Amino acid sequence: MSDDPRYICAECGHECSLSQSNKIQCTECGYRVLYKKRTKNIIQFEAR
Amino acid sequence: MPSAAEIPLPCPASRAPAIQGAPRDQEIPSQSSEYLTHLVRPHIDSFNFFMDNLQTAVNLIDARTVSDARGNRLRFWFSDVTVSRPQPAERDQVGFQDQRRWLFPAECRARGTSYRGRLQGTISFSVNDGPIQTISRNLGGLPVMLRSNRCNLERMTPRELVDRHEDADEMGGVFIVNGLEKLLRQIIVPRRNHVLAITRPSFHKRGPSYSNFGAQIRSVRPDQSAHTITVHYLTHGDFTVRFSFLKREYILPAYLVIKCLVDITDQEIFDTITRRSTNNTFLSDRVESMIRSGKRFAVYTREQALAFLGSKFRVVMRADDHLTNAQVGSKLLADILFVHLDTPREKFHLLVFMIQKLVSLVAGDTSPDNPDSLNNHEVLMPGHLLMMFLKEKLAEQLSNYLAQIAQDQRRAGRGHAPDFSNGDYFNALMGRVPSDIGRKVEYLLSTGNLVSHTGLDLQQVSGYAIVAERLNYMRYISHFRSIHRGAFFAELRTTSVRRLLPESWGFLCPVHTPDGAPCGLLNHMTHSCRVVSVKGDVTGLPELLNSLGMSPNQSPASVPPSYLTVFLDGKVIGYCPEEVAASIAGDLRVYKSKGHPATPESLEVAFIPALECGPFPGLYLFSTPARFMRPVRHLGTNTVELIGSLEQVFMNIACVNSDISPGLTTHLELEPTNMLSVVANFTPFSDFNQSPRNMYQCQMAKQSMGTPIHAFPYRADNKLYRLMFPQSPIVRPRLAEQYGFDNYPNGTNAVIAVISYTGYDMEDAMILNKMAFERGFQQGYIYQTLRLDLVKDHHSEHPLRFGVVNPRQAGNTIDTDGLPHVGTLLNSGAPLYCYVDTVTGRQFVERYKNLDTAFVESVRLVAAESGDSGGLTQAVIVLRVPRTPLIGDKFSSRHGQKGVCSRIYPTADMPFTEYGMTPDIIINPNAFPSRMTIGMLIETMAAKSGALHGAFTDATPFRFSEKHRAVDFFAEQLKAAGFNYYGNEPVYSGHSGQEMRVDIFFGIVYYQRLRHMVNDKFQVRTTGPVDPLTQQPVKGRKRAGGIRFGEMERDSLLGHGVSFTLLDRLMNCSDYSLSHVCVKCGSMLSPTTVPAPTAVGSGPVTLATAARSLTCRNCDTGDHIELLTMPYVFRYLTNELLAMNIKLTLTVQ
Repeated sequence: MSDDPRYICAECGHECSLSQSNKIQCTECGYRVLYKKRTKNIIQFEAR
Repeated sequence: MPSAAEIPLPCPASRAPAIQGAPRDQEIPSQSSEYLTHLVRPHIDSFNFFMDNLQTAVNLIDARTVSDARGNRLRFWFSDVTVSRPQPAERDQVGFQDQRRWLFPAECRARGTSYRGRLQGTISFSVNDGPIQTISRNLGGLPVMLRSNRCNLERMTPRELVDRHEDADEMGGVFIVNGLEKLLRQIIVPRRNHVLAITRPSFHKRGPSYSNFGAQIRSVRPDQSAHTITVHYLTHGDFTVRFSFLKREYILPAYLVIKCLVDITDQEIFDTITRRSTNNTFLSDRVESMIRSGKRFAVYTREQALAFLGSKFRVVMRADDHLTNAQVGSKLLADILFVHLDTPREKFHLLVFMIQKLVSLVAGDTSPDNPDSLNNHEVLMPGHLLMMFLKEKLAEQLSNYLAQIAQDQRRAGRGHAPDFSNGDYFNALMGRVPSDIGRKVEYLLSTGNLVSHTGLDLQQVSGYAIVAERLNYMRYISHFRSIHRGAFFAELRTTSVRRLLPESWGFLCPVHTPDGAPCGLLNHMTHSCRVVSVKGDVTGLPELLNSLGMSPNQSPASVPPSYLTVFLDGKVIGYCPEEVAASIAGDLRVYKSKGHPATPESLEVAFIPALECGPFPGLYLFSTPARFMRPVRHLGTNTVELIGSLEQVFMNIACVNSDISPGLTTHLELEPTNMLSVVANFTPFSDFNQSPRNMYQCQMAKQSMGTPIHAFPYRADNKLYRLMFPQSPIVRPRLAEQYGFDNYPNGTNAVIAVISYTGYDMEDAMILNKMAFERGFQQGYIYQTLRLDLVKDHHSEHPLRFGVVNPRQAGNTIDTDGLPHVGTLLNSGAPLYCYVDTVTGRQFVERYKNLDTAFVESVRLVAAESGDSGGLTQAVIVLRVPRTPLIGDKFSSRHGQKGVCSRIYPTADMPFTEYGMTPDIIINPNAFPSRMTIGMLIETMAAKSGALHGAFTDATPFRFSEKHRAVDFFAEQLKAAGFNYYGNEPVYSGHSGQEMRVDIFFGIVYYQRLRHMVNDKFQVRTTGPVDPLTQQPVKGRKRAGGIRFGEMERDSLLGHGVSFTLLDRLMNCSDYSLSHVCVKCGSMLSPTTVPAPTAVGSGPVTLATAARSLTCRNCDTGDHIELLTMPYVFRYLTNELLAMNIKLTLTVQ
C-alpha cells in the first residue's frame, strides 16, 4: 500500500494529512473542503 | 437599512491554487459578457429590487397591539430588516478570523449547504405609547441569489470569478440550496393595475341573477403583494364587488362600496358614472337600478356606510376591540380594495371606470379582453415572489408573538399574568417563539411549495422552484428564459390557453416550447425580450400630460361622455378627447426617445382607440415593474424604443424595411430574428425548415452532450455530461458568437453522406465511421457525483468514520483512509469505500454497483454543516464514466433530424469520394422528403464551402430571398472551390470500388450527441430476481427485472400461433413451477406428503420414501397424483380462493 493519503485545501492549496478523527478543515486557512491527492500508485487501465 | 453600496464588498480573491483540470489563465475576458448577463437580468434585478425595497415591505406590515390584565397596551412592529452577504459559520472561523470573511458559492456547492445571508430583524415596541424600545433578532439565513447585490460574487470580473472556482462567465440568477442550483420559475400573472373586462361562464354560478360578465383588476402594492378585485354585473342591473380575504371570498354591493369610499350624493354618483350622458340609456338605467337597490342598506353618509361595513367584518378582520366599526370598515377598504391606490377618492374613480367598462361590455359596445393573451399579462418575478413571501412570514412572526402572549395570559394564574410594563417580559417572550424565517424561504426554494395562509393572490401552491440543470449550457440558459403559464392551466382540459396568439409576437418565442404535456404553457422569452424589474420614475408625467392637452381629474361628472380616461399605473389621472389621446401617445414616444425626465425608458404608452366593437378605449400608461418589454426602432426619431405587450397591439411595426408603409408605420423591428429565443436562434437556416422540426431541435439542443461548465473539478453536480472533443460549428448564426457559445460547444462537425448504403441506415439509423470513432468522434464522459454522509446514510448507534481496519479485505482500490485512490479504475463490484464503527472496530466495505466501469475523478472530504462531530464522515466522490459511442446511442443534427447509431462500420468498407474522403456519418436520403428540413441541406453545403474556404459561415435566418437564393450563394462557393455546384460528388463503393451510378450529396453537418444512451437504457433478462409472492419476474431496470409481456402482446403471439414462444415467455421465463395434482378429485391442494405407512416407526424418512408417500387427503389415495407444470401464481390463486371457501377443480385429461 501507499503512504498515508495527503489532502489539498480547495482554498489555499495547503497540503496536509488527516487522521480518522481529525476535523475536516484546512489547518492554514480554515476552509472546510479538502481534495484528496491523486494516487502515486501505478495504475494500468488498458493495454490494447 | 444599509444600501447595497454600504455593505462592504469582499476583497479581491487570493489566487487559488491550480487543482488539476482547472481552467488555465489564457483568454479569460476582462468583463462579463453583456449578452449573457442580459439573459438573467429579470432574475437578478428583481432580487436586487427585493433587497433594496425590503424596508418598504417591512413598513407596510401592521403593528400589533395587545392589552394585559392591568390595562397596559403593548404595541410592537418590525422597524427594520436587513440581509447581509453570506459569511462562513462562526464555528468554522475559530482561530482563522482574518483569513476568510466571506462565503462563496463554490463552498456551498461542494459541501451541499445553502448560500445564505443573515436575516436580521429589529422589533420595536412601546408600552402605553411610551418610549420606543428595540430588540434585534436573528431571523435565520435567507438564501441569496448569485451575483445579486447580496452575493459576494456581485461585481467580480471573470478573472476573479475563476479564482472563486466559478466559470468565467457565471451570470448568476440561481440560488444554492442544499448544494443544488435552484431558481424560481417566472410565472405569468394578470397585468397589474389594469382593468380587464371578461366573460366567464363560471360567474353565473356566483348566485341568482349573476351574469357571466365581470371586470377584474389585479392591484399590486409597492411591496408586490396583490389583491384581485372583480366587479360583477347582475342581470337586474346591479353591480357587486368581489374580493378574497384569507382565502375566503366576500361580495359587497357596489353601491355600498362607493358610499364607503366617498361622501357623495346619489345624484353625484349617477352623474359621475354616466357623465351626464343623455343618449346612453343602457348605462343610466343600470346605474339607476344600482342606486335603487342600494337603498335597502339605509346608509346615507360615509361614516354610516363604513360603520355598517365594519360591523360585518369585525370578526373576519380580527379587529382590535378599541377600534370603532367605522375604523374597521375603512381599514378593510385600505387593506384590500384597489391596494395600488392611496386615497379613497382615487379608488372611487377606478370603481366608476370599472362599472363603465363593464356596462359597455354588457351592452356589446366593446369586446371582452382575452385573459389568455400576452397583452394582459405580466410576470411574477422571482424577487417579487420572495418579497411578498417574506413580508407575509414577517407578519406571521408578529402574529406568533401575539399568539404566545395570548397563551401566556390563558395559562397564567391571576398573579402571574404577563405584565407589559415590565420590559423584560416581551424580551423573554421573543426568545420562546421560534424565529427561523430564513428556513421557510429555503423550504420554498428547495421544494417549490408555497406555504401561505393568505394565498398571496396566487393560483398555485407548488411548482415555484426548479433545479437549474447543467445538462448543457443551452438547457441551463433556457431555464432563465422560460415563462410558465401556471400550474393551474396544466390541468385545464381546454387548449385555448396553450394557443400561440399574435399578441405574443416578439415577446415569446413561437418555436421554443416543448411538445407534449407542457406545450404552449411553458414558453421562452425571445432573446431581445426583457422584463422591467424596477418602477420608472413618473412623478413629472401628469404635469407633462396636462401640458399636452389632458384635462386633469377634478370634476369627472362634468367630463363629456366621449372623452377617454387616462390612466397612469391604474390610477385615473385625467380625461381627454380621442384625437388628443392619440397625439399625446405620439408625443410621449418622442419624449421617451429624447430621454425626457418625466418619461422613463420603461414607460408603456398604450393608446387604445375607439373601434367598432373593439376593446374599451383609453390611454393607459404604465411604469410598473414586471412587464414584458422589447426594443424596436422608432422611425420618427430613429432611436431604439422599448415597447410593452399592451401597446404593441395598437402600433404599426414593420418587420423589415420593405414592410414600411409611409404615414402608417411608426416603428421597425431591429432584427427579424428578435422574435426567436436564444436556443431557437441557434438553429442554422431555420427559415428553410418545416416549423415543427425547429421545435424538435429546440428540445434536442437542450438534451445534447456538450460543455455544461468549465469548472469541472470544483463542481459536485449529481450528473454532468461532457463531450470530450467538441467543436465550434462551421455554420452558425452571428448571435452564437455574440452570446459566446463557442465557449460551450455541444457537438462536432461531421462529414456526412446522404446515401442508402448498407441497409443499416434505414428508418433514421445512421452508420458511424469506425476510424472516426477510434479517433474520439463524439466521445463523451459522464461525471457522476456520489455524496457520502455516514451520519445521514447509516442510522448507526455508534459513530462511523471512513477508514480501513483490514486492508486485505478492503481490496486495493481503497486507500488507507477508506476512500478510493484518485484515478483508479472501478469495475462493477469493486470496493468503493470503507467505513469503520469506532466502537466495535468493525469495518464495512461498500461496493461500486453500477455496470459501467468508471474512473475515480476526484475525492473530496467535506465538513458537515451542522454540528461538527469531527472526523471523516462526509465525502464527495466524483466518478467519470466513459461513454464511447455505441450502437443504439442517439445523435442529431441541428434540424430536428435525430437518428440512432446502427453500425460502426469499418472505414475500408465506407464509400469514398474522388478525394479519397470517407464520411463520418451515413444517413439515409429518406430522412428528407417528408420532413422537409431544407435547412439541413443548406447547412451541408454551407459548411462544406466554409471548410473548403477556411471560414465560418453565417447561418442567421431570414438572410436570403427568392432573388438571392441560399442554394445559389453556397453553390457558387462550392463551384469556386472546384466542387460540384449542388454539393453532390461522385462516390465509389467501399466494397467493390466501383463508382456509383449517381452522385451522392456529401458535406459537413454539425452533429449533437444526445444524452439518451443505450448504456443507461438497455434492459435484458432471461431469469433473475422474482417477486416473493407470485414468483413472477420483478419490474425495473435497476433491479435486473423484466419488461411486462402484457395481454395485447400475448394476443399477438396467439394470433401468430407461436405456441413455443408463448410457453417460453409466459411460463419458462416467468413463474414456472411444478405442482402435484390429484387427477381423480381435481384438486391441487389436497396432495400432501404424509409419512409412508410402511415407514412409520421403521427408520428415518428418506427422500425416496417420502416421494412415495404422497397422498390425496380427499381421496385418501396417492394413486392418481400427477406432477404437472403450472404457473406459480395459479397455485397462489387457488390458495387465495380456498381462503374464501371456493374450491377449484382441475379437469386433467
